[in-house]
Amino acid sequence: MLLYVLRRLGTGVVLAVLVTLITFLLLAPSFDGVVGNRLGPGATPEAVRALKAELGFDRPLLVQYLDWLAHAARGDFGTSLFTGEPVAHTILQRFGVTMSIVVVALGVTVVISVVLGVLAASRGGAVDRATQGVSLAGNLFPSLLLAIVLVYVFAVELEVLPATGFTPLSEDPLQWARSIAIPVAALVIAGIAGLTAQVRGTMIDELRKDYVRTLRTRGISTRSVVLRHALRNAAGPALTVLSFEFITMLGGALIIESIFAIAGFGGYAFESSLQGDVPAIMGVTVFAVLLVITVNLAVDLVNGWLNPKARIF
Amino acid sequence: MSTPSPSVRPRSRLLAAFAATALLATAACGGSDSSSKSAGTQELALAIQGTPPSLEITQLNGGQSAYIWSALYDTLLYTDNQGRIQPNAAESHTYSEDRRTLTLKLRKGMTFSSGAPVDAAAVKASLERILRTPGPNQSAMAAVEAVEAPDAGTVVIELERPDGALLGNLSFLNGVIADPATMTGPAAAADPVGSGPYTLDKGATVTGSTYVLKKREDYWNAAAYPFETVKVRVMADRSAVTNALQAGELNAGSVDFTQLQPLKAKGMQITSVEATAVASLVLADRGGETAGPLGDLRVRKAINMAFDRAKLAETFLRGSGRPTAQVFSPKGGGAHDPQLDETYPHDIAAAKKLLAEAGHPDGFSVTMPSLAITKMFEPTIAQSLADIGVKVNWTPVPPQQQAAALSSKKYPMYFMIDGLAGDAASTVVFFTPRNQRNPFASTDPELAKLIDEANKAADPAAAAEAYRKVNKFAVDNAWFAPVFYIGSTWVTAEGVRYLGDGSSTYSQIRAFGTGG
Repeated sequence: MLLYVLRRLGTGVVLAVLVTLITFLLLAPSFDGVVGNRLGPGATPEAVRALKAELGFDRPLLVQYLDWLAHAARGDFGTSLFTGEPVAHTILQRFGVTMSIVVVALGVTVVISVVLGVLAASRGGAVDRATQGVSLAGNLFPSLLLAIVLVYVFAVELEVLPATGFTPLSEDPLQWARSIAIPVAALVIAGIAGLTAQVRGTMIDELRKDYVRTLRTRGISTRSVVLRHALRNAAGPALTVLSFEFITMLGGALIIESIFAIAGFGGYAFESSLQGDVPAIMGVTVFAVLLVITVNLAVDLVNGWLNPKARIF
Repeated sequence: MSTPSPSVRPRSRLLAAFAATALLATAACGGSDSSSKSAGTQELALAIQGTPPSLEITQLNGGQSAYIWSALYDTLLYTDNQGRIQPNAAESHTYSEDRRTLTLKLRKGMTFSSGAPVDAAAVKASLERILRTPGPNQSAMAAVEAVEAPDAGTVVIELERPDGALLGNLSFLNGVIADPATMTGPAAAADPVGSGPYTLDKGATVTGSTYVLKKREDYWNAAAYPFETVKVRVMADRSAVTNALQAGELNAGSVDFTQLQPLKAKGMQITSVEATAVASLVLADRGGETAGPLGDLRVRKAINMAFDRAKLAETFLRGSGRPTAQVFSPKGGGAHDPQLDETYPHDIAAAKKLLAEAGHPDGFSVTMPSLAITKMFEPTIAQSLADIGVKVNWTPVPPQQQAAALSSKKYPMYFMIDGLAGDAASTVVFFTPRNQRNPFASTDPELAKLIDEANKAADPAAAAEAYRKVNKFAVDNAWFAPVFYIGSTWVTAEGVRYLGDGSSTYSQIRAFGTGG
């Protein structure tokens, strides 16, 4: 398994290098614009030349990229052209904020989706119909709309939760919980729609299989049949959907961060792109690629652990 | 064959119930969010729309981030809320007779937040750093030849030519004073040492999110700043500002006029400023260098007549602004002339006639940049121009390439929204060759003479008269096709007042006061 993990990580590094190279080449035509924005109107050609030299934009593209790559390999992603702050530090700070929302949202989504999906599949009837209703509603209402409604009700009208802002967990756990409550709720309601349907569907399939009947005839308790056997086998497809949900939530976090005025990873990526902040965009790209690779690897490993037949290592 | 549905234990119900009530439970835990709410009039909590750039003095910009940097740095002069230039770190300033030497006498007893004294050497070092470092504010000092510090309390600025915008510049971006010992150090970008009324509370500040400023009690003019703490929060979404105002998390914010009703219902104060920006079609290629037709005054006049300004202002602004045909601010110092707004009435037939006389009876095509800031106006602009036969081809330009694209001479005309400023600053922006709104470096002997007159005018009334003539020249010669002024609306909670009226569009803490 170690060899498999190392091989996957190696592939991931190659992929990251390729993606960053493509990103760098796509950004290259905007380098003059970046210099223009930094200097403002009326800049003299000498000033343009001086700044290009200072930023290293006067060198061949491949040299620039390799220089960036060499520094990035050592963890040095440079400083923002816009704020002058170290890119790696800002990304880690912003990423921590986003993850503290997304991870909690993902955890709550898993708990609710599994409970609802298992109940719907195992009970059927009204419970199943209600679950499908929840799933449908989650698909119908975009998280943006939900967030706006939740802010209005809980922050503006009831004044029981903050409307904007983020408190770090390390600073005040209770305020942290309150500051992420509405963003998490908005992401969860959208997230459970897909995952609940997936858990319900695969659980129904599993509960109809012969091994379930065999287990029952052997006197295994219903709880054990559902939770230890059927749910374990149903977890594979659900995990795959969960990994998609994670990526979707990261994307959705950009909207959530904007609505709640939270300085997170999504907002940083968006601002950096708008400003043409080359070091920041490159840093964000590396981070995003590594994140997706890590999540996919983790899902494959957990899948293999849950179901030996699904092992690809 | 169907499988009977096995039952699960009621414990799962509890789990589901827990998840469903988590939000309410979290809310109930904390009660009202007093900690994040603004602390009465001791604290000013306001929102800005974007992350501030570097706070290093050569990288400062004149947008809303000035609420932060103008609180950290003193400026040599100060533009008050009525747009008048006042003494500040320099308690007096005098021009030589030829207006090529400006002598500034510094106030005594000023100190940087580090404790170091503010003297002429520090001012000279700051001015020279801006003058010699490629950056957005360097070009505004193009007329400066040398900076001297003959004694600790005197700074002398020698000019190559008279510069009417200099005093205004010294009251804002070009007049900041930084501690020479740290101005090039690693902390200059995020935690600079200035001599302003506030210092950055690094412990409470979260870069990109919240900037907390603490008042310096040893500041020479502490009485002019009633707020002990200023919290500047970055909120890109205007709805977030409205929500935060309603929830008491901000006590001042500029909001969209469509969101005023709930804030009025909460008893908040509304202050409307009629004009803070101007939206105009910049007819940049007045020489017809790349787009021949624009070189003809009749064509430029026809384009001006294509716009139903009153209708466009009503459609887009719904009361938060008004139509105009000029680019100067109504409160910029005297250049604005209400009668000029009547120069180009909406008249399609007359516009077509002018185009026909200019040899373009079937109109012509022109390529314009599609910018993020103008996207929402583009269909209407295109339709207005199509009405007189001018077909617009839009080329998307990403924000990071905007400045380079607009100055590249690739676009003979483009739609733009510019923040309004004083007459002298507007003259630089709109008429100085190769500056923002004059990328084709258009010149005219009559205009150059008028600008020279304004630059040399010692008497403010004479300068105002010269700028009025500059404005009339621009309107008569249709250098632009301005469409409307855009206003802004400030909402403040009880105890906080917005003091601006559009005379100064600089983002400064002194635009806010207590009371009301």
